[in-house]
Amino acid sequence: MNRQMWVEKYRPKNAAEVMGNEEAKVSFIKWLKKKHKQKAVLLFGPAGVGKTALVHAAARDFNYKVIEMNASDTRTTKTIMEIAGPAVSTSSLDVYFLSIKGSLLLFDEVDGIFGREDRGGVGAIVKIISESQIPIVLTANDPDIQKLRPIIEVCDLIKFREVRPPLIVALLQKICRLENISAEKEALETIVQNSQGDVRSAINDLQTVCEGKRILRKEDVLSIPARNRGLDIRETLRGVFSAASPREARKILNESLIDYDTLLLAIHDNLPLRYSDPENLAAAYDVLSRADVFRGRIGTEEWRLLSYVFDLLAQSTTIAPAAFHPFNIIFPPTKFSLLKRTATERSLLESICAKIGEKCHVSKRSANLEFIPFLKVILKKESDQASKIAAWLRLDEESSNYLKKVD
Amino acid sequence: MSRNEGVMWAEKYRPQTLDDVVNLRDVIRSLKAFLRTPETMPHLLFAGMPGTGKTTVALCIARQLLGSSWRSFTLELNASDERGITMVRERVKSFARYGRRGLADIPYAIIILDESDQMTATAQTALRRIMETSSRFCRFILICNYSSKIIEPIQSRCAIFRFSPLQREDMVKYLMYITEKENLDLSNDAADLIAEFSEGDLRRAINILQTSATYEEGASINGKTVLRVVGQANPKQVQVMLSKALDGKFMEARDMLYDLMTTYSLSGVDIIRQIHKELYKLSYLSHEDQAELARIVGEYDFRLSQGANEDIQLSALLAQFAGFMKLKGGATSE
Repeated sequence: MNRQMWVEKYRPKNAAEVMGNEEAKVSFIKWLKKKHKQKAVLLFGPAGVGKTALVHAAARDFNYKVIEMNASDTRTTKTIMEIAGPAVSTSSLDVYFLSIKGSLLLFDEVDGIFGREDRGGVGAIVKIISESQIPIVLTANDPDIQKLRPIIEVCDLIKFREVRPPLIVALLQKICRLENISAEKEALETIVQNSQGDVRSAINDLQTVCEGKRILRKEDVLSIPARNRGLDIRETLRGVFSAASPREARKILNESLIDYDTLLLAIHDNLPLRYSDPENLAAAYDVLSRADVFRGRIGTEEWRLLSYVFDLLAQSTTIAPAAFHPFNIIFPPTKFSLLKRTATERSLLESICAKIGEKCHVSKRSANLEFIPFLKVILKKESDQASKIAAWLRLDEESSNYLKKVD
Repeated sequence: MSRNEGVMWAEKYRPQTLDDVVNLRDVIRSLKAFLRTPETMPHLLFAGMPGTGKTTVALCIARQLLGSSWRSFTLELNASDERGITMVRERVKSFARYGRRGLADIPYAIIILDESDQMTATAQTALRRIMETSSRFCRFILICNYSSKIIEPIQSRCAIFRFSPLQREDMVKYLMYITEKENLDLSNDAADLIAEFSEGDLRRAINILQTSATYEEGASINGKTVLRVVGQANPKQVQVMLSKALDGKFMEARDMLYDLMTTYSLSGVDIIRQIHKELYKLSYLSHEDQAELARIVGEYDFRLSQGANEDIQLSALLAQFAGFMKLKGGATSE
């Protein structure tokens, strides 16, 4: 009769029922109770460990009405202001008519708001936080994302971790009892191990394997596909840089969702942070350079060579495992933002080179290499001759000024 | 030659006929033979370093073969600028439309394809086909730095000419010719210095001369002027980047590398070439160290040609420099 998803059915009713992450739980409840110094709090951590569940459960405990927005809503500035705006600005009449404390605004999965359509979404959230009369809670998996910076600056932060396996096993046992299923403990342990601390996925897997059964044996769970949630870029980088051996790093690369080209660039970008000793850095870069050579040899055909790229990547991050010190991962690669920042200058330089090329029968490349350095010196002189040459090349004022200015 | 003011001298003093070319006596002699019986002229392949006269000679040939209408029937393309072989094909097609009669009194149209060694092997194969189908009404003059980078089938369809760097005396002679035309006062040591710095590249020599002349605003040019101009024009960034790497300041060196690649739009190959040059100017390195570092540069230059990403290869090279000096017990540049 009950076809409800177990994840819904056994959602914690109150904060006490939320498993694990005791410290985070205490901090959150404290934050909810006190006259907080920040109006907003960001709960961050891996998926399925109870961030959103805690918000709903604790809200019930303390009589808050939750107004929720999550990644599935299009988060343009406009929709955010439409939905959240009124909730935060008027102190709700509900407070008087219903015996509740007030509303609590929940932005779920804020790191999911980065689609193209979401331009301005971050700004809108920051604006709402600054104007809000009511508490605001945000959740995210990865708080390091560059674009979240403005939000993080105006929030308290509470970190969630994977839930420890024994706790999840206990929960699954409880569910089985309530569902009248007799389950071998070993079967439940396999499910939990597979879930990597993600309670939600453990419950989902349990429901899948229990479908139509009264008894759950350990061989029943062998069929569940390894729940490979795949490592994101930061997890991958943290993993490979802290790995104790190339073999371990290789394993992490296998579990990663990130493509080899991004990995090559990201490892390259972070390599100097990993190795402070120049000799280690040189050794690591030597290996990374060879990984890149193999990548080059693959071209668009020899994909069997990809395996060597991964071998070499794994080697490059584990040159001196003992000397590992945690560091802040850089991502996206610094070169990307640099390219963006210099885009205007570069296109100006290119147009200048094209003009020189046309006049002097050279390619843009040789114009840049062979004429630009001298032209800079000539134009800096600001003489009559200089302006005549600029005119001859049909350089506009912007171009001339650019050449005068750069070294 | 008109004395119009305010132009780049490299262009103003570009020889207009094969007789004006001061070097390359053997090349010129053979080419003149072709010009006497244009029908027998095959496609041409000019190989040589920058500023040795490849484009100049190609333009002279076009001018002499095609006469007053040479501009209409000469197509100058740049393999590194034009987007792929499609462009070449399109342009050739539009020539083909003229047909034989349309070309009037001229034997054929001329296509000058500069930097053709920048083309991929695939693009070159396509080019070979185009050369074949269009040879009735087109001649190609392919220009490159290294003929070895041109695929065999194309090489075998071309008469290959090697352009060697200018001899010192030819260089000085040409500089003196310009000096006279421009009413400049160029000291002997200045002329020698220019010849030395330009390493057989006449375009570079002329650019140094003109920049020096502008710098002195008509006054006399001596050795000091030349040194100053070359110093200012030579990007110091590469040298500073090298020193930082050798001092173990890898991050700063890499930031400079990124700057060269973005703000200055230099390619990996161009940067590594400059690194190789600058290496020998670092006087605090022993000859043995310079040789060893040059070997490393060579290795990474090779990897660059094999690799997929020049950021990685060049950063890796800088890291080797830092590691090398650490091993030697620190640099002594400061």
